[in-house]
Amino acid sequence: MRAWLFRISFSHLAQYPGRTLLGILGIALGTAVYLSISLAAASALQSFQVGVTAVAGQAQWRIQSPGAPLDEALFVKVRRLASVAAAAPAVESVLELAGVYRGPVLLLGIDPFSERPFRDYEFSHAVGLSDTAWTEVLTRPDAVLVSGPLASRLGLKVGDALGVMVGPRRQALRVAGIFTSRSGLYPLDGAVLLMDIGPAQELLDRVGGLDYIDVIGAGPPAEVQRRLQAALPPGVEVVRPAAEVRRTEGLVASYRLNLAVLSAIALFVGMFLIYQSVTLSVVRRRREIGLLRTLGMTPGQVLFLFLAEGLASGLVGGLLGLGLGVGLARGVLAVMTQNLSSLYMPVAAQEVGVQGGLLLQAWGLAVAATLLAAYLPAREAARTQLRAVWHREELEEKIESKAGLIFGWGLVALVLAGVGAYAKINDGPPWPGFVAAFLILLGFALFTPLAARLLGQGLQPVLRKILGPAGDLGCRYLAGSLSRSAVSIAALACALGMLIAVTVMIGSFRQTVNDWVSRAISGDIFFGPAVFSTAAYDQYLPPEVLAELRRDPDVADIYLYRCVRIPFKDRYILVIGGSFEVLARHGGLWFRQGDTREIMERVGRVEGGGEGAGVRGQGSGKDNFATSRSNDDNPEPGTQNPKPAAGQVVISEPLAETLHLQEGGTISLPTPSGPQPLTIAGVFYDYRTDGPSVWMDISLFRRFWRDTHLNAVRLYLKDPARVPQVQARLQERYGGRYRLLALSHRDLRKGILRIFDETFALTYALEGVAVVVAVFGIITTFLVLIRERVRDLALLQAIGASRRQILGMVLVESGLAGGLSFGLGAACGSVLSLLLIFVINKQAFGWTIQLHFTPAIYWQTLILVLTLSLAAAAYPAWRAIQPHLAAILKEE
Amino acid sequence: MIKLVEVSKVYHRGPEAIQALDHLSLQIDSGEFVAVTGKSGCGKSTLLHIIGGLESVSRGRVFLDGCDLAHLREPERTRFRRDRVGVVFQSFNLLPLLTLEENVALPRVLQGASYDQARQEAANWLEEVGLSGRQGHKPHQVSGGEMQRAAIARALINQPAVILADEPTGNLDSVTAAQILTLFSHLHRQWGKTIILVSHAPEAGQAADRVLRLADGRLLA
Repeated sequence: MRAWLFRISFSHLAQYPGRTLLGILGIALGTAVYLSISLAAASALQSFQVGVTAVAGQAQWRIQSPGAPLDEALFVKVRRLASVAAAAPAVESVLELAGVYRGPVLLLGIDPFSERPFRDYEFSHAVGLSDTAWTEVLTRPDAVLVSGPLASRLGLKVGDALGVMVGPRRQALRVAGIFTSRSGLYPLDGAVLLMDIGPAQELLDRVGGLDYIDVIGAGPPAEVQRRLQAALPPGVEVVRPAAEVRRTEGLVASYRLNLAVLSAIALFVGMFLIYQSVTLSVVRRRREIGLLRTLGMTPGQVLFLFLAEGLASGLVGGLLGLGLGVGLARGVLAVMTQNLSSLYMPVAAQEVGVQGGLLLQAWGLAVAATLLAAYLPAREAARTQLRAVWHREELEEKIESKAGLIFGWGLVALVLAGVGAYAKINDGPPWPGFVAAFLILLGFALFTPLAARLLGQGLQPVLRKILGPAGDLGCRYLAGSLSRSAVSIAALACALGMLIAVTVMIGSFRQTVNDWVSRAISGDIFFGPAVFSTAAYDQYLPPEVLAELRRDPDVADIYLYRCVRIPFKDRYILVIGGSFEVLARHGGLWFRQGDTREIMERVGRVEGGGEGAGVRGQGSGKDNFATSRSNDDNPEPGTQNPKPAAGQVVISEPLAETLHLQEGGTISLPTPSGPQPLTIAGVFYDYRTDGPSVWMDISLFRRFWRDTHLNAVRLYLKDPARVPQVQARLQERYGGRYRLLALSHRDLRKGILRIFDETFALTYALEGVAVVVAVFGIITTFLVLIRERVRDLALLQAIGASRRQILGMVLVESGLAGGLSFGLGAACGSVLSLLLIFVINKQAFGWTIQLHFTPAIYWQTLILVLTLSLAAAAYPAWRAIQPHLAAILKEE
Repeated sequence: MIKLVEVSKVYHRGPEAIQALDHLSLQIDSGEFVAVTGKSGCGKSTLLHIIGGLESVSRGRVFLDGCDLAHLREPERTRFRRDRVGVVFQSFNLLPLLTLEENVALPRVLQGASYDQARQEAANWLEEVGLSGRQGHKPHQVSGGEMQRAAIARALINQPAVILADEPTGNLDSVTAAQILTLFSHLHRQWGKTIILVSHAPEAGQAADRVLRLADGRLLA
């Protein structure tokens, strides 16, 4: 096909610049949103990966104990092994800067004499790092090396003081030197401090303990791992450093996937615009098609001609979207970084990495979406018979006659959606749920032609009686212009449906979390280190504080809380030790089944227990992680582990859902005392985001972890009315001495809901863009409809219709179109919200969300859509009834 | 009675000014059937549109039964078009959405009649123009001649004082065109309507009481 023939298409695009522009903008916005989310998510994760890679350096293996420190004596033992070429010990912690600049900083405690084979490339080719600096690091307990990016951000130079928060304490460090990484790789976006391991252990209160030992093997990797594992005590594991990245990716995978899917909605709505644009073009150019076919153009050439029209919008819109997306990504990254840090782990990505692959993917998606959208009307054009030049009225009749059939296809889509919703997934993303969501949108979109026809015909007598000819004709035009208006109505309905669904889901989720805070998190005051994120599991309450609290005359009960994060299978989970006896006295947890009191008592009953027992572990030492995995792979309720249960625990619903565990079953938990088979006494609702969790009594936790630290306590007061006074007193007593924070239950609730709202702000923004794209569709529709109807409107004036009647007619039609969009959108959104709440969320996160309808979103959406529809139609209608009647009526 | 006094109409297309009517004066009595002929672009349609209140004049005055059209504001002009004039177009200009009966009934509905009443009257007028049995058809389902008959019925339904027909046979074959002209003659005789029919076809003059010839916006003697 000769290229110049495509000029026909392009000249048509140029002839209607407004409509073309709106179509392009729709695609551009959809592409931009999709790209910005992809880029920001990739940048945030890449920042984390870069951090892990930089810290890991040349390490091949990492020795660690899940959720517990390693005995530093192990380092000497490991280094002496024949299978080990080099080993380096490390402690690390994410601290908070305590100066004017806040934010996380990674403190790495290293042994400078062991480091060279590992992180030589990253750290030792330092600029301005003199022997004096090393000497200072080795001899002064407060000396640190500061990374170049952090030093330039804070304006630090050698000799400066640097304040950091170590748990509740403010600690002053001294800058001994500034290092730069030749590769440019830094953890936490360059906020890194290096310290000699001895002072670092003291600073972090980990004297005698290590967080991990990095190893370079001597020999085949499998052999090295086998020999290392054999030499290590129970509960210590040998992993690849990259495993951390994989587990972290797993932690945020659902968050990322949900955003990616939501971001694609705007592009999906943009497809309607292209479909509508090409359909209108086909309808308007029916005579031209007939002529071209008469002149010898083949159906295939006609198909390509119209596909080219859609493709042009896709190419240009996609390109615009790329530019816009890169610009938006920075803002999205800021929000996402905040979300990830609040919900999962400290992330400090500031720069958006523009990845060619993602740009190509987004552009390809835009082009594919427009081609797909343009294909159906282009195929219709290609099928146009030479003999029967396509009259618009014939097309309308065709659509009208097929409205029932199209409705039937919509029902089929809904039935398939139902099948998708009930499909079970073993693991991985909830794709059947997403497919079901798409089918629901499609189903309701396919209901549109019949719904528009029935609405127009049904309301015609009523509105005729009320509004006269304006009401009558408005209804007729709605029912009789399906080829043009149905697509816009469907597009807007889809966008509104998503908006309503997401709002109902978020509203339900928020209310559920609110209920959960009331029902499952008891306590008058929550007291612990003022940490910046949920990932600060190594921030402790000073022991002397607990002793003082026990003597406080206002305190009736103290709930002790200790949390560690451990790798478990292919993810991280939290293991929480708490005073179950205390918790049971104050309401316990919120279990999905079973008697709360009985479950709490069973878990709280620990043989040989007692707070701070510090008893040695009972693991055999022969079991390893692989054994515990095989035990867990049998999820049948009541499964009995061959080894007697070492205790009873309760697990969170997300853990039960994702690993298919049930009440009465067994979970084999890797602990520093070896794998422990534990009976699952109950499954409780839990909405924390930093990981699924296993809860046990704190005495059992201490037995397995040999750890007497506490992360926080909950205080139950004798007189709950005295919360403000006690809170103020605690703050006054400890706020200056340590950096501790006393939160009332109300403060906690507010904090949780604030994080919740921040998390979903991005979701709302994504849906808002989808609605904007759909509004473009409505504006385009009425611009085109009225432009095409200029002759009809002039005729009506010529035979005596007043301008008011004509405006009324157009407004009735647009109001009905908007109303129908809302009706379909509300129905679609309600069904979708059920899917999001009961299927997708359950599959992605394992959360049970109680349904709470949000009536406000319905009437707010109705007002929005009616206003927009009426405004979109009023202006072109007003323009169309200006007095050029004779000229218009004379035109052929 | 229709009276035009020194009427001029100038169109502006960019820098160019086109004189469609040039100081034209004429008078048409009630009940008269007048054919306006002339070459393409001589101002025939402009004359008709000005009489029908579809266009305003650049200079001069237009009276219909003593009513000065120049002084009518838009709402009055709308009522004038609805109640006093019926227009028939060359390209029929029927609303594709409506059936023939509904198209014909529309001006009556706009006038305030009930739908049932308007449709009853429309059925009668369709019968009058020879379209009984075609009420339920939509415009694209009937022939050009039938569409034009329906358009004529629509022009008549409000019982206007004047029927203005702008090239009503221009889109029709010669046999159908002759039938339409016969219909106009019949309606003139039957109902005594003032009819102004613009056409460049010589046959139009034979059906009319008087023929006005236009050239360059002026009446030829």
